[in-house]
Amino acid sequence: MKNESPTNRVQEIWQCQPVEGIKMSVEEIRKRATKFEKKIFWRNMREYVAGAITIVVLGFSIARSHNLLDRSAFALLIAGMVYVMYQLHRRGAAKSAPASAAVGPSLEFYRCELKRQRDLTSTVWSWYLGPFVPGLVVSAMASAAHDWHPQHIAMLTFWYGLIAAFFVFVWRLNARAARCLNRMIDDLGVAE
Amino acid sequence: MSEAGAIPAVKSRQDELYNQVAGSFGPAIERLAHAYEADPDIRRDLVQEIHIALWRSFTTFDGRCSLRTWLYRVAHNVATSHVIKQRRSKGPGLIGLDELDNLPEASRSQHTADRNQDLARLMDFIQRLQPLERQVILLYLEGMDAASIGEITGLSARYVSTKVYRIKAVLARRFNAGGRNEE
Repeated sequence: MKNESPTNRVQEIWQCQPVEGIKMSVEEIRKRATKFEKKIFWRNMREYVAGAITIVVLGFSIARSHNLLDRSAFALLIAGMVYVMYQLHRRGAAKSAPASAAVGPSLEFYRCELKRQRDLTSTVWSWYLGPFVPGLVVSAMASAAHDWHPQHIAMLTFWYGLIAAFFVFVWRLNARAARCLNRMIDDLGVAE
Repeated sequence: MSEAGAIPAVKSRQDELYNQVAGSFGPAIERLAHAYEADPDIRRDLVQEIHIALWRSFTTFDGRCSLRTWLYRVAHNVATSHVIKQRRSKGPGLIGLDELDNLPEASRSQHTADRNQDLARLMDFIQRLQPLERQVILLYLEGMDAASIGEITGLSARYVSTKVYRIKAVLARRFNAGGRNEE
């Protein structure tokens, strides 16, 4: 390989690398595409069923409870769960980029993907965490109203504090991811 | 043509375009997947995912760009989604070309003329790049000029030219030792 520039040599190494020779017939592709669609369907179904089970359990709790505060807490948690499920369903369409973007120039597609991720992460408080807060607050109040003993209050404070800390952690993690995605989107402007 | 006859016609055109592209660019798709995924099993899945996306995409192919441009757009977009998904599960770690070039390289004593080692080094280098820069370098390695790279990626001609210039410089510096050994 005399008189060959290093970059040409690298191009040659790249183009002559061994490959497995993976081939897929159209029939096989059709089968796999159908299988993939079924997989997505069942994944969505699992999310809905999990939500429905939680709603049923909370519904039973309402039926069994005679305390207004308890019932209000369960009702608010159900409302929160229904709202989050609706949002998951609505945003489910955004789980993959639109078909038009998938065949467009890479820059456009990349920006579209980053924006989608940013929008999901930057609004996580309003559509995923926030809806549960009223139910949790009323539930904490209901628990405290049952028993004013300091030991019980301390335990409640600990558990609800733990839940609050988890919510704040998830929110901050997502906010940080959104900021990072925003920077990446801004950086793309240089490439245009 | 009746509506009933139109659907099979679309299907057969879709199949025909797919077979044409898969036949001509099968190895290029595998090379591309190799640059995006190091794990051989996940890579096979990625190759299949690209094939499925390509086949699906041909229902909307309007001939406004070449089949090659279309293929690379679809393939890179599928691979970019894959990288974004992987990054979400494995955390950040991709960097820019300039940043990567500033990282200390492996010891020079490891530089041999062995093509497999050079390929492994090249892969390691590419797999650490951010998606857009990775696309530019891959298309350059496939032998495309700046105009074709610009058409596929949507990046400006000036940006692509600058990147290609930088890529050449970085590759020359990183692979020069191996090249000299071969001479």
